Amino acid sequence: MATDFWASSHYKRWIVDRATLKQARADDVQYVDDPEYLDFLSIYFADLISKLGKKLSLRQRVIATATVFFKRFYLKNRYCETDPFIVIAACCYVAAKAEESPVHIKNVVTEARSLFSQDIYGIKTFPSDNSKLAEMEFYLVDDLECDLTVFHPYRSLLTLCRKEGDHEEEEAEAGEVGVGIGVDEGPRYWGSGDGQLQLKEGALQTAWFIINDTYRSDICLLYPPHVIAVAAIYLTFILDKNARATVTPLLQSSESSSSDLPQPRRSSRQANHADASKKVQDPIDFLAGLNVSFPLVATIAQDIIALYKRWERYKEDEKPSPLGSLSAGMKRSLSHSNAGTPREASVGADAIVTPGFLSSLLLKMREARWTDIAHPGSGRPVAVNKMLERTQAVG
Amino acid sequence: MAITPERKQEPVSPKASKPKSAGFKPIGQTSSALKRFFPADDDDDVIPKVVQPQITHWVPEPSAQLPLRKDNLIISDTLPRGLPPKPLTPLLPPKPPPPLTPIDFLPSNPIRRFRTISPPHVVENVVEKQPTPPPVAFEEEQVTPVGHSEHDIHPPERVELYAIVSQVGEGTFGKVYKARNTITKVHVALKRIRMETERDGFPVTAMREIKLLQSLRHDNVVRLYEMMVSNGSVYMVFEYMDHDLTGVLSQTQFSFEDAHLKSLCHQMLAGLAYLHHKGVIHRDIKGSNILLNNRGELKLADFGLARFYHKRRRVDYTNRVITLWYRPPELLFGATVYGPEVDMWSAGCIMLELYTKKPVFQGNDEIHQLDVIYRIFGTPDPQRWRGVGDLPWFELVKPREAMPNHFRELFKKWMSPAALDLAERLLAYDPEQRATATQAMAAPYFTEEEPEAALPTGLATLEGEWHELETKKERARKRRRTEATTQ
Repeated sequence: MATDFWASSHYKRWIVDRATLKQARADDVQYVDDPEYLDFLSIYFADLISKLGKKLSLRQRVIATATVFFKRFYLKNRYCETDPFIVIAACCYVAAKAEESPVHIKNVVTEARSLFSQDIYGIKTFPSDNSKLAEMEFYLVDDLECDLTVFHPYRSLLTLCRKEGDHEEEEAEAGEVGVGIGVDEGPRYWGSGDGQLQLKEGALQTAWFIINDTYRSDICLLYPPHVIAVAAIYLTFILDKNARATVTPLLQSSESSSSDLPQPRRSSRQANHADASKKVQDPIDFLAGLNVSFPLVATIAQDIIALYKRWERYKEDEKPSPLGSLSAGMKRSLSHSNAGTPREASVGADAIVTPGFLSSLLLKMREARWTDIAHPGSGRPVAVNKMLERTQAVG
Repeated sequence: MAITPERKQEPVSPKASKPKSAGFKPIGQTSSALKRFFPADDDDDVIPKVVQPQITHWVPEPSAQLPLRKDNLIISDTLPRGLPPKPLTPLLPPKPPPPLTPIDFLPSNPIRRFRTISPPHVVENVVEKQPTPPPVAFEEEQVTPVGHSEHDIHPPERVELYAIVSQVGEGTFGKVYKARNTITKVHVALKRIRMETERDGFPVTAMREIKLLQSLRHDNVVRLYEMMVSNGSVYMVFEYMDHDLTGVLSQTQFSFEDAHLKSLCHQMLAGLAYLHHKGVIHRDIKGSNILLNNRGELKLADFGLARFYHKRRRVDYTNRVITLWYRPPELLFGATVYGPEVDMWSAGCIMLELYTKKPVFQGNDEIHQLDVIYRIFGTPDPQRWRGVGDLPWFELVKPREAMPNHFRELFKKWMSPAALDLAERLLAYDPEQRATATQAMAAPYFTEEEPEAALPTGLATLEGEWHELETKKERARKRRRTEATTQ
């Protein structure tokens, strides 16, 4: 009940489209062989945030907020010009404060240092000085435009669904800001008005985990949280064996009997429901009754599936695959680093990507960027060129 | 936790799947507001001068660290005091490019939405050089100042600066200034969030206040227009309010009629009813946090101690909240489980103060505070307050002897019977019996008894601005004078 999503900065300012995302990565993409690496970086960063958050005993919602902060920050900044690791630490630090579970700054610094310096990441340069993090926090809050309220699909999920056997969900908990389900049931109310969908505990877990997973992609920047929640529920009925078992018969019956007349068939089922409404709940009816855009739900579902495909190739424990040799190549490129992009072999469609590889990729991106800025191919500093273009465009 | 691989491999084209056309198309309906902040050509002059030139001086550094330098640290003791360093200068001509400073470098985006404030004297200089943008756009702005409204779009050519006029208060975490928008001439209140004294960076209280205020919108709650960043400080920009209640009650030029007091009381309750409906407890209702403008409108301010509360679940909170004189007895008895009732006690104190013109319960410490309350309302006992004996500190601070309730006889010279009734309900010892804001607004005091509430619009004729800060200074001056004469 706390806040209305539709009136929030999240809805008004921080739901972006793909073009915006692309624009935000336009510079970074010049410094990678394969644009897909940037998607892997998304997984990598989200993973780090989640790990750091867990070390700091932050709840999942806080971790999710930190991830959103990180992504918002990089809508306006470039990987190749900043130190994402201190940004990660600052995101966790700010999210913890913003979500009313503050942690001590020293704690964040210590945990971040120890996490990032692990062998699989190999980042040894994290500052040990609190003031660096405090300063970064300031920039972060600045770039977040002080919009510190983030909405997450978790609440929508718990508003829409409840564990089988549980009673109707208690009133929205204050502090955990809003659901997006119109509190005042205004014109933007998107629920079905049908109460909650009952899910088996395992299924609810699955939906929850799917939502966790969405933070490893840009989904949280692209779509409103309640639609993401619906997509997660929808995928749950596909991915969760038990949940699927509950809908499969329904699907078959409707398919076998009503290929020409799906409408009447469905509605007659609804009519039956009225008699025995307590006993069986038709999840398909429930989802269909929600006032959300289903093409959008399907798009999100596709995005999530694409994420899972990509994620399979992200392996922490894998021995460096052929392209892991990049760290060696990096040293070479240090000496003659005028090449903007790494020259390593391009990625195979199913090559494994490791955190170590991504760490060195980041380093390499940054070095190449700095080199470009200082000694651009044109003989003039890049930034000045841009300036000129700008001034020409203006005047 | 990730979905395990075998689940991922499930075929994902179930019968229930949606039309095939649904693919990776960009969401059409709401194109991003953020897009505005990305460098389309016409956006280029937002602040390119800040961001771009420095890069020319950037020399690659082998270290992967952020290029932070101690002398530019924002949260350090070297923070600009007195003569400020050169501000981020979006206004000055781009050449020669200033040397790269980490501050400018890091948020290397040309899309900073925050406008820069400069200290007054700098502002004057700069404004002269700056061709004043057409004022038309700003007048509109003034009606619905930015915040989170549709008016959010800042025209790129717009350069907005605030010149500080004077200090008007001291908030929980920083000074409050009256400032004037140098272009629109509209006054705002700037609340500076003190960063240099914070070892832990951005104060949690400030963050809480920002989050709360961004989610609140009500006629009787002060409006946060926007946030700004300048010279290593964060400023909250509020609508300007001419007076605060403490200040305005201490002046003698304008005397409030009963209808005015009723209106002020009603407006305060309306603000509280809204907050409580939104699940927010204010936790610091007092005269200096209740603001008034010359139209007679009242708004609640300073949400540094406020927080969301759990409507169903009872949760422990700190009881070190609310300025002593307005603190309800249950907190003085050490309660940590409480709800919006704590604000209602403070509201009751304010209601009395409206009539008596000064705070009613002026205790020196917690024990004395209870004593002062007993002298008026008598001592609490289990009949009047069920469960008082169970409160954590009751045994420590319980009244030594029973005292009778003198409230009505003491206050009838100021207040009407219906007003006394309402005050009594607001100042009920038992939090469970205390009137809620909504109940209070329906009291006969408002609905039946004459006179009807009327906005004290006559405040417009009042000379000067009345804030607690000045009142305090005035009091201190007087004290010094009397001390001088008595010696």
